[in-house]
Amino acid sequence: MLENLRRVGIYVAVRGFLLFFTVVVAIWLVILIANMGGVMDKIIESQIREQVGLMFLNPDLQQLPEAMRRELYDRQVEILRRQYGLDRPFYERAARYLLNGITLNFGMAEKLTSDTGSKQVRLILVERLPHTLLLWGTGQLLLFFASVFFALILSRRYGSLADRLVVALAPTSAPPAWFYGILLILVFASLLKVLPYGGFVDAPPPPTRLGYVLSVLKHMILPVLAVFVNAIFASIYNWRTFFLIYSSEDYVELARAKGLPGRTLERRYILRPTLPPIVTNFTMSMIAVWMGGIITETVFSWPGLGRRLYEAIGQNDTPVIVGANVIYGYLLAISVFFLDILYAVLDPRVRVGAAGGQRL
Amino acid sequence: MRKWWAVALVTVLALGAWAQVRRGAWVDEVVFTEEPTRAKGIDMLIAGAIDIYAFAIPERDLVKKIIENLHYAVSYGSYNELTFNPYGPEFKDGRLNPFYLKEVREAVNWLIDRDYIVQEFYGGVGAVPRYLAITPSFPDYARLAATARALELKYAPNPEKAKAVIFEKMKELGAELKDGKWYYKGAPVVLKFLIRVEDERRLIGDYVATLFEKLGFEIERMYKTAREASPLWIGADPADGTFHVYTGGWVTTAISRDQGGNFDFFYTKRGRPDPLWQAYKPDPEFDQISERLARRDFKSIEERNALLARALELSMKDSVRVWCTNLVGYNPMAKNVRVAADLAGGVYGAWLWSRTVHFIDPAGKPVAGGKLRIAQPSMLTEPWNAIAGTNWIFDMMIIRGVSDYDTLPDPYTGLYYPQLVERAEVVVEAGLPVTKTLDWVDLKFVPKIEVPGDAWADWDPVNQRFITAAERFPGGTTAKTKVVAYFPANLYERLWHDGTKWSLADGLLGFILTFERGKPESAIYDEAAKSAFDTFMRHFKGLRILSEKPLVFEVYSDLWYLDAEWIAAARTPYLMPQYSQGVSPWHVLALGIQAEAAKELAFSSSKARRLGVEWMNYLAGPSLTILTKYLNENLATGYVPYANVLGKYVSKDEAIARYQALKKWYEAKGHLWVANGPLYVDVVKPVEKVVVLKNFEAFADPATKWLVFAEPKIAEVEVSAPAPVLRRGAPWDFLVEVTYKDQPYPVAEIDFVTYLLFDAEGNLVLSGKAEAVKDGLFAITIDAATTAKLPAGSIRLEVAVASKVVAIPSFATATFTVL
Repeated sequence: MLENLRRVGIYVAVRGFLLFFTVVVAIWLVILIANMGGVMDKIIESQIREQVGLMFLNPDLQQLPEAMRRELYDRQVEILRRQYGLDRPFYERAARYLLNGITLNFGMAEKLTSDTGSKQVRLILVERLPHTLLLWGTGQLLLFFASVFFALILSRRYGSLADRLVVALAPTSAPPAWFYGILLILVFASLLKVLPYGGFVDAPPPPTRLGYVLSVLKHMILPVLAVFVNAIFASIYNWRTFFLIYSSEDYVELARAKGLPGRTLERRYILRPTLPPIVTNFTMSMIAVWMGGIITETVFSWPGLGRRLYEAIGQNDTPVIVGANVIYGYLLAISVFFLDILYAVLDPRVRVGAAGGQRL
Repeated sequence: MRKWWAVALVTVLALGAWAQVRRGAWVDEVVFTEEPTRAKGIDMLIAGAIDIYAFAIPERDLVKKIIENLHYAVSYGSYNELTFNPYGPEFKDGRLNPFYLKEVREAVNWLIDRDYIVQEFYGGVGAVPRYLAITPSFPDYARLAATARALELKYAPNPEKAKAVIFEKMKELGAELKDGKWYYKGAPVVLKFLIRVEDERRLIGDYVATLFEKLGFEIERMYKTAREASPLWIGADPADGTFHVYTGGWVTTAISRDQGGNFDFFYTKRGRPDPLWQAYKPDPEFDQISERLARRDFKSIEERNALLARALELSMKDSVRVWCTNLVGYNPMAKNVRVAADLAGGVYGAWLWSRTVHFIDPAGKPVAGGKLRIAQPSMLTEPWNAIAGTNWIFDMMIIRGVSDYDTLPDPYTGLYYPQLVERAEVVVEAGLPVTKTLDWVDLKFVPKIEVPGDAWADWDPVNQRFITAAERFPGGTTAKTKVVAYFPANLYERLWHDGTKWSLADGLLGFILTFERGKPESAIYDEAAKSAFDTFMRHFKGLRILSEKPLVFEVYSDLWYLDAEWIAAARTPYLMPQYSQGVSPWHVLALGIQAEAAKELAFSSSKARRLGVEWMNYLAGPSLTILTKYLNENLATGYVPYANVLGKYVSKDEAIARYQALKKWYEAKGHLWVANGPLYVDVVKPVEKVVVLKNFEAFADPATKWLVFAEPKIAEVEVSAPAPVLRRGAPWDFLVEVTYKDQPYPVAEIDFVTYLLFDAEGNLVLSGKAEAVKDGLFAITIDAATTAKLPAGSIRLEVAVASKVVAIPSFATATFTVL
């Protein structure tokens, strides 16, 4: 028992360390990529000079002696260089970004502000998080459960009209969600005028809580539908194929030959052994929710994280980019870590701490 | 007793009449939302989901939809050009740069066809051709219409001429043309085109590159975004030859009434300190004229116009940049909506939008009331504080909509009209070419303007007192201008949105802050404000309050403009609570001053970054916790900032009453944005991106006050020759019809009507002014002696009409044959 605990402990520590190391490397790469290895400093500096130099179009400043104009220019450039951290070498800043990121001390953004006007990276991300979770969480949950549900049914009705229809419709998932978003807006907002074009809530927002909730739900219909319609057929097709493979396993055939009812077959002989990949898939899709969707959120004017990250990338706001990726990295690492353990619970064939093919 | 009854009756009747007049804005409510996708914004407008999309749309497909389905106003704030690298003739690595020669650059004007660019790339609607350094829709163009049109004809497309010049100069540079390709020292001549990809400049860049390809040059097309291009054109040493041609673009958000400085900025080393500008070598005459225009070194408008005309001519010969197009932005709105749109800044840049926006009935008459829905591409982008908060154009649209100002600019001429101020006397040093147009300004010239010793000329942040002119300038001093600003007696009756009344302390705080933020000894010193402060102190000489009730004060300064209205508008805000990013009463700003002094918040982003604190936001977020902490403290203490000065105008009880009003406002609205305009901020939902403004019914002015500016009065002109064939030696008479919406354009509103005669080769052969006959009708008479000297053949008559009420000149053309 103690030996097992020791082995589990070592496994947990080693696995935890490796995942942490992976996160650190990933964040370092994000910092390097976001700043093009320091090249971005040159670009930002040029943009600062470009912006500051425009002040000389002001006729009032054109009246000043040239030396004074130069002094004003240099002073203003220096203030902005400092504001964007360019007064410190890139690798020094990069090390600080990394340290702040892994200790979850995100600090202040360089350019972006949160919707409420704060420069704190934490608030910049947190203010948008509920909206993203609401939209993408709802979409992914609906998608996941509907896909698995219908896939299970279809796996039992292989070759039926419904099955062939889903197979035929699977390619409809090729266009992205925002494409369906535009179509849905055209039909339901522009032509029929029954649903809003976008946004999170009516403007002005209803004063009562119930009214507010109903208004949010109304605004969610089209984006959730876009996310759902975009992926549903391919998702059903994937799961149905997955279940079909498991349905044709020998032990399932044997159980079927023994005359077990369909429900029992599904639950015990198909779902049970397929649970680890189902849980993995579910967990990964839930983590993906964290990043939102850039274009879909833009199409629906949805105040989500995806748009925020897009803005951060566009403006090279490294603390915000790092902050979002650190959270994503940690979520991913923690999920992988717990999934490893969960597999052992769900699947009797998997053992925590197994090594070299030995069962411990 | 009867007398009192009469007074009471009159008062009641007056109050009744006052109540019946709609005050503030025309609409009851304005709801702002965010819509980042322009195409969707237009679709929402057409579907009736919004009433205004606050953006100037240039894309031809969208413009077509707007023209077909919506009402719109046009604006001309953006322009594109080709920026040349003039270093050379060889770059550091020995490559040839043909654009080192000004003749080659000048020839590009003949090589490109601006009309083709407009028709092909902007669908004939999204832009107008631009040849010159001055904007075709701004007043200087109207003043110089004759020269401008002559130059435009001189530089009309002439590819053969361009080719001849370029070929000749290439040979002079030592290049050889072999098999239709240019070689220099054995290697092909490669031109690097730095082409911006975000808009039609991609097409323009490709078009010009192809033209050069056809002339035998090898082209390297570098497609870049603004960010990628920046280090290559503005950050790089031009000697490195990182580019030959860059597709540049510029934006103006307000009408400039003096574009004389453009030459200094765009063509000389003085323009900017960047390496590219340091490679400019303008002709000495051009360089001198550019500097004189920028420094306003001339004695009369006539002298200035002559300098400007010469500068235009020389700038075309220099051509370190070749102007291509002036973009036409379409500001779309529902068919039943009207609003003032600034000729440069569009609807979102119009200071008058909230005072003019209204619905109309089917007969076109304004309708009072209603809820107006405006979508903006982005909103609430940065924190709001009046001192150094957000400067985003879309946020500023809302801020200006809820603010009241001393003067407001005419969106069609850029001239200032009085709003809070009643009138102003502008006194300028004799010899300065200042003119006036509007009646609210009284312009005088004097030989010398002495600054009185008791005027406030500086501020001591340690002892918190004003320093007088006698102390600052012990030997006395003079100023080039003096403005005496007169405010109406009811200024003190005007209300802030939280219900408090205007006080001189509100205005004085603004004046004190000008010094406080620029002086290192101050608790709220901000290095980001120092540059503006240093500039201010170079020209500011003194301020003196002549009367407190009604408020009359005078300001002495060395800074002057061509228009007396501009001089007045630059000085009258000195004792107004107006700041770069809006207006604010003293008791609201006091909270921010306390928070910044305690290093808990900062007005500017750079100081916030330096201190590691939040950038102050009066609308939402963590700033509110800190600001309301001071509000609660001040409710008990009755804190008055700079009590040495402001204490004279605010008692402790009055201060507490103000803080109580603010507290009530905050509890009701959830934010601290208190202004004084025709609309007030009622609801702010920052994450949902919703802002609701409501009509401020206690606003003193009637809604009709600015309605006359709801649409630009752009003249329509028609001219025709008396006959298709005219004889030399006979008098010629032409009639010019000038109308607006089919009604005669009043002569009083016309600045001038000028005409130009061009021969068949486009040479200007005669110009002059038309005489007014009556409203809407002008006559051009050319006597027999003059016509006898004109050449025979095809003659083109161009008529330019400059209006006093709109900056854009209107043109008409007639062609006839001379025997």
